[in-house]
Amino acid sequence: MTYRRYEAIKDIMEAVGDEFIICNMGTPCKELFEIKDRAKNFYMLGSLGLVSSIGLGLAMSKPDKEFIVIDGDGSILMNLGSLVTIANLASKNLKIIIIDNGSYGSTGFQKTFTNYSYGKTDLCDLSKSAGIKNSFFVDGTTKGDVSCKVKELLAKEELSVLVVRTKEGQPKTKLISLSADEIKNRFLNEVKTNN
Amino acid sequence: MSISEELLEKLKDNGIDFFVSVPCKLTSELIVLLEKDNDIVYTPVTREEEGVGIVAGAYLTGKKPCVVMQNSGLGNSVNAICSLLNYYKIPIVFVVSHRGLSLEKVDAQKPMGEITKKLFEDMDVLVYDFKNSEEIDKIDGAIAKAYQDEKSVALLMPHEFWER
Repeated sequence: MTYRRYEAIKDIMEAVGDEFIICNMGTPCKELFEIKDRAKNFYMLGSLGLVSSIGLGLAMSKPDKEFIVIDGDGSILMNLGSLVTIANLASKNLKIIIIDNGSYGSTGFQKTFTNYSYGKTDLCDLSKSAGIKNSFFVDGTTKGDVSCKVKELLAKEELSVLVVRTKEGQPKTKLISLSADEIKNRFLNEVKTNN
Repeated sequence: MSISEELLEKLKDNGIDFFVSVPCKLTSELIVLLEKDNDIVYTPVTREEEGVGIVAGAYLTGKKPCVVMQNSGLGNSVNAICSLLNYYKIPIVFVVSHRGLSLEKVDAQKPMGEITKKLFEDMDVLVYDFKNSEEIDKIDGAIAKAYQDEKSVALLMPHEFWER
């Protein structure tokens, strides 16, 4: 089986319990919406690069709740400074999963500099250098158990980053049938009321 | 009371409880106050756009957040203000040291200084100019309107505001 972002999100969702999820814009959001829509998912519809920052703002403001960010290689490369801020605040309730398919999937799979055939940049090393010592790597394309690794991280009360290597490519997915207002309001409601 | 102390008190009186900042000479005292203040959540950020992302997250938990920045950082935040704050109707208060106006000594600040107000207006952000610190009470109405309209608001504060 080809292990793409879609399969990685499926595995992540198998591991996730009642944590809040903030998902990167574009196709990742559509895939998550299709795999498992829930009020605790925040679908980012614009502003590529900011998903981990949104996650940090949530985690800082609600230390008693757990937040998972689904980020991507192209996205985090746009906002590398965010890793520095995240490392230094070290919010224990924040887990960042970077799905690294070595390309800008939503815009036609142009290669990024994390692509093995093209670049030299290792996001897990970068994350460690920023100061996040709990930075891990799992290769989904060589039968690395992504679901198991995510469960492991969620069990620990500490900031962590998991880089998940996948292949390029994506299935056809439908559009998200929620407005920005609906996404925001149902998420806000969950954060405020859910215990 | 210094103007920075007065400003922070005014913002807190209006419910602002979460701050991020990118530094400017004019806001240096305010930033020291933010670092020491235990009533609020605060962090410095590496870049203004990153700050916009963080405050959007804070808003989604019910916080009333503020970005403290120099106007020169507006350029890197335009998309975040439009496609995140405006699109989701997330009202954020921007405390902006407005460089590049009449008392500016650094020429390179002038081109951005001249277009800052228009740029905010073009982005449909509410704009309040402060001629000097005597106008500080305008903040009350500005923040109330921002929350009522679900729009972000820029408080543009030039040298005259900070150096009284």
